Amino acid sequence: VANALFYLTAVLTVVAAGGVVLLRNPISNVLALLVAFFCLATIYLLAGFQFLAAAQILVYAGAIMVLFLFVIMMLNLAHLPGLEPVGLAVMKRGKSAVTLAVVSAVLCLSAAAVLGTPATSVLAAQPMPAEGLDAIGPTAGVTTGLAGEMFGRYLLPFEAVSMLLLATAVAVVVLAKRNRPGEPRA
Amino acid sequence: MTVPSSHLFLLAAILFSIGVLGFFLRRNVIVVLLCIELMLNAANLTFLAASRMHSLDVPGARVDLQGPIFAIFVIVIAAVEAAVGLALVIALYRRKQTVSLDDVSLLKD
Repeated sequence: VANALFYLTAVLTVVAAGGVVLLRNPISNVLALLVAFFCLATIYLLAGFQFLAAAQILVYAGAIMVLFLFVIMMLNLAHLPGLEPVGLAVMKRGKSAVTLAVVSAVLCLSAAAVLGTPATSVLAAQPMPAEGLDAIGPTAGVTTGLAGEMFGRYLLPFEAVSMLLLATAVAVVVLAKRNRPGEPRA
Repeated sequence: MTVPSSHLFLLAAILFSIGVLGFFLRRNVIVVLLCIELMLNAANLTFLAASRMHSLDVPGARVDLQGPIFAIFVIVIAAVEAAVGLALVIALYRRKQTVSLDDVSLLKD
């Protein structure tokens, strides 16, 4: 059942990602990406990474997507007419043929590499435990171990990222601030 | 879930390719930012799939935690990138009344 759920979710993710590229209305793009994020959270859950699934929904679906929707609605971008070719017409642009060729070549190569792996490879030779990561240890151990690593070996990167978030908050205020006349430009 | 990890890698590759396509073909700044988010998510999925693969390689070993740790950092970077990018979009719209990348070619010309 879990396997079928994975393949179903994977197909849904790809369809939603296609919607991000092909849909016309920016709000539709954001909502399609939201669906893709929820599907990815489901996949994380199936693979045994509960904390990542929760963070995915809270940070991506909760915070970042709301930020995007907020900006789109504030700038009233949903009603800009004729901004660009969308849908399949997007593929008719001049440089698109080259882009499409390069991307599909890379994708075909990676697909061939993944699916054409000979049966003697390390990956295929491993017997898969019945329940994925659950078979290795209690699932609570993943989140607990994650906290231990985060505040142990990775404490310095953690603090650096905190500083990065602070700097970003200041930078965003400076960037988006309205300049009053007579004030020196930032 | 007994899906081979290679299928997770393939899904990540497909998502990344869709993100690259949108990044190069669309001209709306907002959609370009969305495509960057999609690519970062594909990178996340690759980290987790690699972690899962290494954990499953040695039965009875501890779960490999470097993948999830890096995925968390990638999520933070994605949040930062979205915030700065959207602030730039607001500043751009305030100055030029547009969100089309075709109208922003100051450094190109």
